Amino acid sequence: MTALSTKVESGLKSFVAPVPVDRNGRRRSELLSLLVVAPAVLILLGFLLLFFYGVWQSLTDLRLGRPIIHFVGFANYLALFRTASFWNNVSVTLVYASSVVVIEALFGVALAKLFASQVRCAEIFRPVILLPLVLPPMSVALMWTTMMDPQSGILNYLFSLIGLGPFSWISSPQTALASIILIDVWTYTPFFTLIIFAGLQGITDDIREAARINGAKSWATFRRIELPLVAPYILIAAVFRLIESFNQFDIIFGTTQGGPGNSTSVLSVQGYITAFQNLNFGRGAALMVVNWLIVLAGAMVTVRAWQFVKRRVS
Amino acid sequence: MKMRRTTRGGNLKRGLKLVLGGAVITAAALVAGVAGAASIDWKQFQGTSITWAYDIHPYADAVVAQLPEFEKLTGIKVTPELYPDDAYWSKLTIQLTTKSPAWDVIGIGIQPAWDLTPGGSLEPLDGYIKNPKLTDSDYDYGDFFPALRKALTWKNKDGQVVAGDDGQIWAIPHGFENIQLMYRKDILAKDGLKVPETLPEMIATCTALKKAEPGVTPLVVRGVRFWSSIHTAAISIAKSYGVSDFVVKDGKLDTGLDSPQSVAFHTDYVAMIKACAPSSFANDNWYQVVDGLSSGRAVMAIDSNMFGFWNDVPGKAAASGQIAFAPPPRAPGAKSFDSNIWIWSLAMNAASQKKGAAWLFMQWATSKEVDLAGAVAGKLVNSPRASTWDNKAWIDYATKAEFNNFVPTFKTVQAQAALAFTPRYGFGEAMNAWAVSMQQMVNGAPVEPTLKALAEQIRGSL
Repeated sequence: MTALSTKVESGLKSFVAPVPVDRNGRRRSELLSLLVVAPAVLILLGFLLLFFYGVWQSLTDLRLGRPIIHFVGFANYLALFRTASFWNNVSVTLVYASSVVVIEALFGVALAKLFASQVRCAEIFRPVILLPLVLPPMSVALMWTTMMDPQSGILNYLFSLIGLGPFSWISSPQTALASIILIDVWTYTPFFTLIIFAGLQGITDDIREAARINGAKSWATFRRIELPLVAPYILIAAVFRLIESFNQFDIIFGTTQGGPGNSTSVLSVQGYITAFQNLNFGRGAALMVVNWLIVLAGAMVTVRAWQFVKRRVS
Repeated sequence: MKMRRTTRGGNLKRGLKLVLGGAVITAAALVAGVAGAASIDWKQFQGTSITWAYDIHPYADAVVAQLPEFEKLTGIKVTPELYPDDAYWSKLTIQLTTKSPAWDVIGIGIQPAWDLTPGGSLEPLDGYIKNPKLTDSDYDYGDFFPALRKALTWKNKDGQVVAGDDGQIWAIPHGFENIQLMYRKDILAKDGLKVPETLPEMIATCTALKKAEPGVTPLVVRGVRFWSSIHTAAISIAKSYGVSDFVVKDGKLDTGLDSPQSVAFHTDYVAMIKACAPSSFANDNWYQVVDGLSSGRAVMAIDSNMFGFWNDVPGKAAASGQIAFAPPPRAPGAKSFDSNIWIWSLAMNAASQKKGAAWLFMQWATSKEVDLAGAVAGKLVNSPRASTWDNKAWIDYATKAEFNNFVPTFKTVQAQAALAFTPRYGFGEAMNAWAVSMQQMVNGAPVEPTLKALAEQIRGSL
């Protein structure tokens, strides 16, 4: 108690007492720093406020077009948990996001390795392969919708030339999810390729040379040396893509709108439909909060994996 | 042979010029008539600028083409903001429910309006129509078809929509659609097939067409997982089976979508889709229906009748002049067919800060003269005004040989056409759920359990 009083007393003294010249300078500097970061803090607080406003909306029965709003606690969440369609939304979201990230990582590694090689055609195709990444996702969706039309789409025509098909693509619940995964893979594999290619470029030739002198063949060099060294790059790309894939809206809404039935109804699409088509904004906000929690958990797990791999590589 | 083709082409061009020239002169004369017979001061809001939002649609084009006349008449500047269908409805919901004053006049249908009026997003129009300083004595609101006026009149009670003549008017009909069967008369005649009148007949016709015409799609209908695919073919045919979206049981509102009639309808409808529609059914919206007709890929379509009309205009489509019209198919044994109506209407944003000018624009855009001019220009082909359908200029145009039986079929269907949905807030949520269930049944889910689950879902939101 006495020690605490002494501390408080000295603290007060230092607060009241005249500040020495060097301290004064430091305080001014600290104040200036605070002023400089203040806008960023305010913007961050603004974002958080909007986010928590969204969370609050999920605890109400807010319906667009109806004037009265009631606080309903977790009723929206409980109502969602009781429906089979919600668990279908969660399952479709998880399958979609995990599938695209794994497939894109695999293709990304293969393409990056190809581009890092001295093969001439790979050098030519290097800029071309990045094209899907710069296309607006809604344009990608419309383009693939046309190509995947079971009657007049070019994909079925091309397959028919080799005696395959016709396939229903996005028009059948059996193939719709796989079809939109294919579209996502086509669009975003270049992102993985770009990041992993940068990682491969960072591996100096002397490491590969040392492996070669020790008798390692090219596959062993790739598996034992290159892959572990680029693993942090793969995982950091996976973090970004996982977050994006959990939130993917444009490609899915632009092609299937969540159908046929509920076969491609991920949480983001269902949240949008619930809020803006069905006007049930409170329920839609609850779906988005659940999606956010899944994104958060997925991102945290992947970041932990990235930190672990980075430590091991270091 | 070459000479003959040139002559025929020249004749066609001269004919088109005459029709278009005639339409422009008629339109100009009619619009001039608005100012000539004015009982109100059309210049009372001179200098005001308003924004009018609408779907990208030929109905909007019909008004846009005449806008300079309105601006000359009133001194009011109108900025049209036209959006693609899907984007428009989402943007409309957000603009109106957030009370944004950015849009003064909007294009709307009855069903979306039900979801917007309880929250006070739309301005009731009775006061404007009855105000002699704001509404011209020649406006004649009673000239709109009674079914349309009735459909756009309701009151809001306890956050819900209550239909009835004692309600308020929420929107003015601008153009409408009744649901019909459109068919390629040349193909059906070639294959010796008669126009199907019931779903079993439709299935038989499709089966025969698949054999006789392997390269074509027998029937296109909307199948997307939103209410827009229910409000055309599905609800029109369902009504003839005795299906009601909502019923009152023991004084309480309930859904009728798990009734025995509904099971019978869905069993037949799903069988029809499987036998007739393309495998892209789940992705087919009205764009695909129009494309099916214009490309010549589809033999039949059940949708809004004007799609057939526009594709009959010479040179507009592969099958121009060959698309004929019939009432929608009905239940076997039903006395008559049913046809739902969709009313493209103009409504006023309650948050608008220029309501007087907005009303003058709405009044002008839905006037007899502008409706008729839009009709004879071949755009606003389903005029909501009875006077248009009595007008010689329009009837002469619409009864041309290339439009086949458009006019008599319109008259037959219009006598029966009525709003097939129960007016209520929450329409979108229930009907979207119905559309999703329809897709599930078409994809193999058993009819009865799926309808029971749908009904439970709807009951949960009542």
